[in-house]
Amino acid sequence: MFFLKVTIGQYYPVDSVIHRIDPRMKILLLILFVVGLFFVENLFGYIVSALVLGFTIKFSKVPFIFILRGLKGFLFIVSFTVIINMFFVDSGYVIFEYSFFKLTLDGVWFSFQMICRLGFLTAASSVLTFTTSPIQLTHAIERILKPFVRIGVPAHDIAMMMTIAIRFIPTLTEEVEKIKKAQMARGADFEGKGIKKRAKAFIPILVPLFVSAFRRADELAMAMEARCYRGDIGRTSMRKLRFKVIDYLSLCVGIAFLCSILYLNYSERT
Amino acid sequence: MKFIECENVKYSYPAEGEINKSEEWLKFAVDGVDFDALRGEFIAVLGHNGSGKSTFARLLNRIFKPSEGNIFVEGLDASDDKNIWDIRKKVGMVFQNPDNQIVATVVEEDVAFGVENIGIESDEIVERVEKALKAVDMLEDAKKAPHLLSGGQKQRVAVAGILAMKPDCIIFDEATAMLDPIGRKKIIDIILSLNKKENVTVILITHFMEEALLADRVFVMEKGKVALKGTPKEVFMNAGEIKRLGLEMPVGADIGNRIRKLGFNVRGDIIYDDELVDYILKTGLKNIEYIKLDNKRNFKDKIIEVKNVSYVYGEKSVFEKTALKNVSFDIYKGEIAALIGHTGSGKSTLVQTLNGLIKPSEGLILYDGKNIWGNDFDIKNIRKQVGIVFQYPENQFFEETIFKDALFGPLNMGFSEKDAKEKVIEAFAMVGIDEALFEKSPFELSGGQKRRAAIAGVIAMSPNVLILDEPTAGLDPLGKNEILKNIRDMRDRLNMTVVMVSHSMEEVCGIADSIIVMSDGEILICGDCDEVFSKNAFLEKAGIYPPNVNVIFKKLIDKGVSVPLNIYNVDEAVEFFKERLCSS
Repeated sequence: MFFLKVTIGQYYPVDSVIHRIDPRMKILLLILFVVGLFFVENLFGYIVSALVLGFTIKFSKVPFIFILRGLKGFLFIVSFTVIINMFFVDSGYVIFEYSFFKLTLDGVWFSFQMICRLGFLTAASSVLTFTTSPIQLTHAIERILKPFVRIGVPAHDIAMMMTIAIRFIPTLTEEVEKIKKAQMARGADFEGKGIKKRAKAFIPILVPLFVSAFRRADELAMAMEARCYRGDIGRTSMRKLRFKVIDYLSLCVGIAFLCSILYLNYSERT
Repeated sequence: MKFIECENVKYSYPAEGEINKSEEWLKFAVDGVDFDALRGEFIAVLGHNGSGKSTFARLLNRIFKPSEGNIFVEGLDASDDKNIWDIRKKVGMVFQNPDNQIVATVVEEDVAFGVENIGIESDEIVERVEKALKAVDMLEDAKKAPHLLSGGQKQRVAVAGILAMKPDCIIFDEATAMLDPIGRKKIIDIILSLNKKENVTVILITHFMEEALLADRVFVMEKGKVALKGTPKEVFMNAGEIKRLGLEMPVGADIGNRIRKLGFNVRGDIIYDDELVDYILKTGLKNIEYIKLDNKRNFKDKIIEVKNVSYVYGEKSVFEKTALKNVSFDIYKGEIAALIGHTGSGKSTLVQTLNGLIKPSEGLILYDGKNIWGNDFDIKNIRKQVGIVFQYPENQFFEETIFKDALFGPLNMGFSEKDAKEKVIEAFAMVGIDEALFEKSPFELSGGQKRRAAIAGVIAMSPNVLILDEPTAGLDPLGKNEILKNIRDMRDRLNMTVVMVSHSMEEVCGIADSIIVMSDGEILICGDCDEVFSKNAFLEKAGIYPPNVNVIFKKLIDKGVSVPLNIYNVDEAVEFFKERLCSS
């Protein structure tokens, strides 16, 4: 037996206020936050956004370092855009000049905005995935898509496919590990040189994996049918998502955030 | 009215395209079955692999629609499409592979799946889910992710998922085949309690004869037809017929039959262990000292030495888990060593350290006296010396024909094409794969043939040591016995040292020279069969049950008869009784 524990997504299983907010509300709040973020025009706006984000992370009980780690992936894109912005915006007060490089105050401000917007956006969405289990997210997406069923969006099917995918990721990961070891025991070499050789080396893993995945799909379909599954015809749900006090409260915070951003923009202009 | 009634039911799989239109395919998989079940009855269905029993079961809950004949489930006609959902609601089914029937990512959500499908209101679903999880003793794990559970636990979740739908009848389609003895026993206990206390009709498809003995009636299938049916007694009294059908006799019945053949006056209808015990008590035993024939072989040269090996999975992560703790033992040239323990005891991890697939966190592995992780040892060389056959090796086929697939190993090991082919032909002969099958695709072989062909793929690399990880798992009795015979042949004819991982004492006792018992990553006991069994109390704790013959002798001791406890198989038992039973 493998003790290989695969974490799915990056759900951080603790109990916190943020965890308890209805997943639908969390998705809505994320959208509110992102919209607000793109309305921000001045430094105060970014300070307010940072505060809101900071307190949310604090209340979520997710270690700050986890969120930072999530930002690592975007570091390259962010630094790339920052450099471009810094040196290629040539309006405004010149801070530093060398041959054709010109660093201006506007350039720095643009770059700062870029960092804040992308960084906050990434951090906020990782708060969502850290505090919401994949299954809750799936439920939420199904509910959110429900109004669109009439225009032909297969909300239930999408949710079911996501659930099954999430369910089988660890199973198939274990399977790959096992097949790989079995073929290594038969002398397979996965560290060979040359792309063609390496690609060929993976056939003994890929073929059994596909065969197994198809067999599993077949058996699962049969087991689901045996349990009276027929799509969403006459199907009910154990967990009813209902908005609670905390959801309305968090919505108020979200709206207050948006208003304060707009107010800050307005007061700056006058 | 009978709960289920079948009349001359036939079913053939729909032919898809040209490939499958072979004669084999067009035949009826189920070919004229008459069957009936009363409400609250416990019925066992036996038959070797490919006898049509699973296909038949799928007709009973209307997964398949009968091609001919009638099936009525509580009066509902299975041929009528409008009854599909009512029949499936009444007749639930638990499948063989626990992984492939769990849909959701949280245990309780999965149990709710079926109930949600039949449109129960959410408050009642919560209630039913809790009750079902309680019935299978899994309530504590309600919020867990299924992939973190053991096979036995997963299977219990699957049972709960069916229970929550409140069916009148549950079909268990080889639901215990992939589980270890503890997991199996738990499922069987659940089945019995459902049947006796809740009056649920049970249809149990199985390869284990002990399980069939628990049933009210037994059906034996062959070639899509019912070959035998009746009470367990009526069925198992036909010893010759049972054997012909590729099944085994229950141990008590087997011993009874064989001593009757020796001229003792034993009733022909002894089936259950207790009946045999009663007979022996009534007849009486002569007091002759029992000295076991000493046919122990002596092994001198160590081939593999394991010294203080520990292994930690996912070191320094949240999921850190010690799989092996300070394990030491030796394997001698030419012996058959068995590694036994429950699921998760660390035995699979241990065998992977033996050929360098896993590097121990601490400790040494010596092959022929040399450290395999030493600087002067090429780790790839160890894979040539020590071959390992993984669990369910037939799942690793990737070529179009079994012959090509078996060539993979020897070619990788540097044999020339000609030599490799020779090796493969030899290996196939060894495991009894006929030349006619060489060019077949793995999909065309039976379960037992596939397993043997896959094992041959490793034998063809001509390793000195062959490790087999649960080589008989999930096979029918015939397939099992063939593999065990192969293992003996490998040692006797090819001079291989064999290490075999198992969770059944039954199969290990007859074949192994030494036994290593593992529990929770540690070695519990090490020695030959007698030494291991002298520490019986340990074994029960480690979830290892003694062979059935041994159980009968223990029952005799409990009744005050003085008999030895070092008798493990039917041959030894018959030999013992032959000299000692008072003739009546």
